[in-house]
This record gives sequence, C-alpha cells and structure tokens, in this order.
Amino acid sequence: MAQHDIEITISKTGEVRVHIKGAKGKSCMDYAKWLTQLIGTVKDQKLTSEYYEPDEKARIKLQQELKESL
Amino acid sequence: MSTVIILAPLIIGSWPAISAAVMAAAVGLGLNVSEKVKEELQESEVTNEQVVEVELENSQVLASQVASGKEMVLTKDGITLRVRRDERGHCKVCAEGKGYSKTELKQFAEEFMQKLTQCFVYHRTITELKNKDFQVINEDVAKDGTIRVHVRRWTD
Repeated sequence: MAQHDIEITISKTGEVRVHIKGAKGKSCMDYAKWLTQLIGTVKDQKLTSEYYEPDEKARIKLQQELKESL
Repeated sequence: MSTVIILAPLIIGSWPAISAAVMAAAVGLGLNVSEKVKEELQESEVTNEQVVEVELENSQVLASQVASGKEMVLTKDGITLRVRRDERGHCKVCAEGKGYSKTELKQFAEEFMQKLTQCFVYHRTITELKNKDFQVINEDVAKDGTIRVHVRRWTD
C-alpha cells in the first residue's frame, strides 16, 4: 500500500498551492494534471527528486482511475 | 516531496454552484443575505448612491434557465452587494452604498470576490478529493485568512 498525501493551500486572494507527496514516478504528474483541470491554470511548477523514482504499475492504475472520473 | 504546483483558479460553474460559494463568502465576511435570489433584475431605486461594478476575473457562470435574470443581494454596514451573471456569462459584483466613496466600494467588492474565489475553490477541490477517497487529515485557517488542507489516501 502506498500513501499519497496532498497539501492544498488557498490564499486569501484565491491563489492555490498544491503539494503532492508520496506519489512516485509519473503518478504525481497524473495528480497534478487532474488537480489543474479541476482548479485552474498553472502559474508555476516544481519537480522534486521523488518524481524521478519509478513506479510504473501504480501510475497506470491511477491514470485509468482518474480518466474514468473525467 | 514530489511536486509543487501554483495555480490561478478558474471560477467555472453553474449558478447553484456559484451561489453556494456566494453564501459561504457572505457568511465568512459577516454579510447579511437580504434576498437570496431575485426573479427579475431591477434598477437601483436610489439615485444618490455611489455604484461600482467589478467583474470576477476568469469566471464563467454556465448558462441555464435558472441563471438568467437572477441575482443575490448581500448587505453590511449600509453597503449593498449584488452578485449576478452578466450578459457574457461572467460573474459580476455591483457595490452601492450611501456615504461611501467609489474607492471604498470597489475595495469592498474586491474583498468579497477574493473570499468568493477562495470558497469556490475550497468546496470544489474538497468535494472532488473526497470523491476520490481522500480523507482530510488536517485543516486550518491561518490568521491572514489562508486555508490549509491536508488530505491522504492509500493505494495498492
């Protein structure tokens, strides 16, 4: 079981900061894409070391799951 | 850590979704909702009041029979805010009040729209995350009004 955490900060002006943790490989990008479609447009994005760790199996499953909901 | 994204929100929704955020913003700012929904728009009856109109950036109220010709009226300290969908489908806030300058009314309307944006984004995001089986681990509102939410889910 993998733990996926998302920290969302909505400023007083409405700007949103999303920090996706625990989703390795491209899984975090699938979350990022989904949340972007949900909230608005990207102003800035930073990738961290965990992004580059492989987790292909989990990514495909998540991608299918998010695709079904759109 | 994996990734951090900064997003500029788009306020796109049906009139019921927008009006729910309007209600939440009104409660947050201590505004009275004097009339929830008006069936027909009316011209301001008082002519000696300052009137300021401000459009909510990046907003789109989806067209529907329910949305056309309706507005929400909010009041506080002699200021009246009218929130409605304009002809182009954008969300518009009109502020009016006797004894207030246009600058003060504009500031009040903009403060309300920021709160409206925050409430809309919060409700939309939390609803969708819960639909994806995320659980809220922690949630708080900072002194400056910033909302922080931490959600989690377990996957195979």
